[in-house]
Amino acid sequence: MKETPNFSGWHAALLHREDSMTDRLVRQLKLLGCSVTQQWQPLAADALPDIVLVDADQGWDGLLPWAGGTAPRPLVALLGSEAPGRIAWAIQQGAGAVIAKPLSVSAVYPALVMALGIHRERIAISQKIEHLEERVRLRPLVHAAVQQIMAARKVDEHHAYNTLRNCAMKRRMAMEQMAASIVGGAEPMPEAV
Amino acid sequence: MRDAVKIGILYSTTGPYGSMGRDAWDGAELAIDELQDAYAGRIVPVFIDPKANIPDYLDGARSMLRDHGCRHIVGTITSLARKEVLPLVEKHDGLLWYMCPYEGFEANENVVYIGGCPNQHLLPVFDYLIPRYGNRPYLVGANYVWGWEMNRLARELIAAAGGEVLGERYLPFEETAVERIVADIELRRPSFILNNLIGPSSYAFLAAIKALGARDPAFRPDNCPVVSCDLTECELPDIGIGVATGQLSAAAYFDSIPTAENLDFKRRVAARFGASRRISSVFACAYTSLKLCAEAIIAAGTDDPVAVRRLLSAKPARSILGPILIDPETHHAALPFHLGRINDDNVFEIVTSQAAIAADPYLTGRNRRSVPQLRVVS
Repeated sequence: MKETPNFSGWHAALLHREDSMTDRLVRQLKLLGCSVTQQWQPLAADALPDIVLVDADQGWDGLLPWAGGTAPRPLVALLGSEAPGRIAWAIQQGAGAVIAKPLSVSAVYPALVMALGIHRERIAISQKIEHLEERVRLRPLVHAAVQQIMAARKVDEHHAYNTLRNCAMKRRMAMEQMAASIVGGAEPMPEAV
Repeated sequence: MRDAVKIGILYSTTGPYGSMGRDAWDGAELAIDELQDAYAGRIVPVFIDPKANIPDYLDGARSMLRDHGCRHIVGTITSLARKEVLPLVEKHDGLLWYMCPYEGFEANENVVYIGGCPNQHLLPVFDYLIPRYGNRPYLVGANYVWGWEMNRLARELIAAAGGEVLGERYLPFEETAVERIVADIELRRPSFILNNLIGPSSYAFLAAIKALGARDPAFRPDNCPVVSCDLTECELPDIGIGVATGQLSAAAYFDSIPTAENLDFKRRVAARFGASRRISSVFACAYTSLKLCAEAIIAAGTDDPVAVRRLLSAKPARSILGPILIDPETHHAALPFHLGRINDDNVFEIVTSQAAIAADPYLTGRNRRSVPQLRVVS
C-alpha cells in the first residue's frame, strides 16, 4: 500500500437495524470521514453509495441490488453468527471483509481498507479475464492466418507464426487483430521472416 | 464518593525505553503526591513495573483491573504494549491513559490519547523542515510499528512535496551497529534525517552522525539535521553532553517553555527531584494524565469511564500543557506543537511552536488548518 487509504468524503450505506452497536459504528465511520445513511430495507440500484456495510446475520436475498458475487461496490459484512449459511450469504453478496459483532471500533478501518482492496483486485481480475476470453475467442482466426501464411510462403507452422507475430508487433496491433486483417484480405500477405 | 479510587500506573523502568518509563513513573509520583495534598486519601495509586516484558504488562493490567478494582490505567510506552493491554481494558470497560507520541490510526473508546498522533508531530515537523532543508530526507527507524508507520507516512509526505526519499533503514531494538546506515547516509547526502530509532540504537546513531559531521561539514546539524518525534530530555543524559547538539525533536512539552505555569511546575519538580532535573514531555504527560484522570474522577463523583470522558470533552481542563480538551470522537487531546533544538547544555531551545492542534488520527483532513496532499482513494 503506497498511499494511506482515506475515506474522507465517502458515502457509506449501513444496512442494519438501528441499535447501540450501529450508533458506535456510525460514529466511527464519520470519524473516518464518511457520510453515513442507515436503513433496513433494500438498497436502491440507481443511487449506489461508495461502500456498503450489511448485517449478514439477518440480511436477505434482494437486500442488495446485485446478484452472484458481482458486487459493484466494496462490501463489508457485519457478522455475529458463526452459522455457515450466514457466512455463505456474505460471500455470495460479494463481501470482501467481515466486522465481527459485538463491535470493536478498531475493526472498522481495517475492514474498509480490506474490502476496498479486495474490490479493486476483483475488478482488475475480471477485466483481465475478459481480455483473455476475447483472445481465446479469436484464436481460430490466428490459426487460419497461420495456415494461409504457410500455404502462401511455403514455410512451416513455427515460421508462419513468427511471421504473423513480427508483423503484428511492427504494426503495434494485437496478434488477433492482425490475423483478422490477413484472413479478411484487408492486409497483404506478409513476407516470411 | 466516600471510597478511595484506585488508579493503576503501568510503566517499565528497564529495557530499551527504560529511561522514558522511569521519567513517566516519576511524573506519576509527583502527581500522586500533589493529589494526596489536595484530596487526602481519595486517590490511591497502584504502581506496577512490567520490566519491559509483554506478558508482565498483561499480568499487571489484569491485576489492576480485576484484583485492585482499578477502572483507569495510566501507562504503556510502546504501541506494542498498548495493543497488548487494550483488549483487557475493553473487557473490563476501563480507560487506558496513553501519553506517548504514537503513529496514529487508532481511536479506541477505552483510551484517552494524551501523546499525539502524526498530524500533531510528524506533519508540522515536515512543514517546517522541507522549505528550509530540502525534500530529500533519509529515514531510519526501529524495526516495529512505530518506525514502519512513521517512515511510511514520511514517504507519502515527501512524494506529495515532489521530493525523494534517499534511503530507509531499520534496526532491531537495542541494536547499536549503525555503521552501515551511516556509511549509506554519507554516500547519499540527504537534506535531513528522520530518526525513528528507539533508545540505545538512537543514541549510537546520534553519536555516529556527530562523528560524521566532524569529518564532513555537510552532515553538521545546521546543514543536515537529525529530527525525531519522540526524543526528550529524559534520554539526553544517556546520549551525553554535546553529542546531539543542534539536532531537533518535536514534542507537546519542553522543559524550557517559558510560561508562568511551567516555571511554577519546574519549581515543584526541583523541590521533589533536585534543581538539575530536566522535565521531559514523558514526565509532563504522565503527570498531566494522572492529574486529568484524578481530577475528573473527583469532579464527576465517580470513576465510571463514560462520566469521566464526558467531563473531559465538555470543557478544557487546565494543565501544564495548556488547556486540554479531549475530542469526544477521537478520544485524543488537542496538543500544542513545539520543535526544539538541543543546545550545548542538553537543553531544548524552542525553534518554532504552534497552538493546540486537534488530533486527526486517521489523517482524514478533519479539523486541520492545512490538509496534507494525501491522495483520496476512490
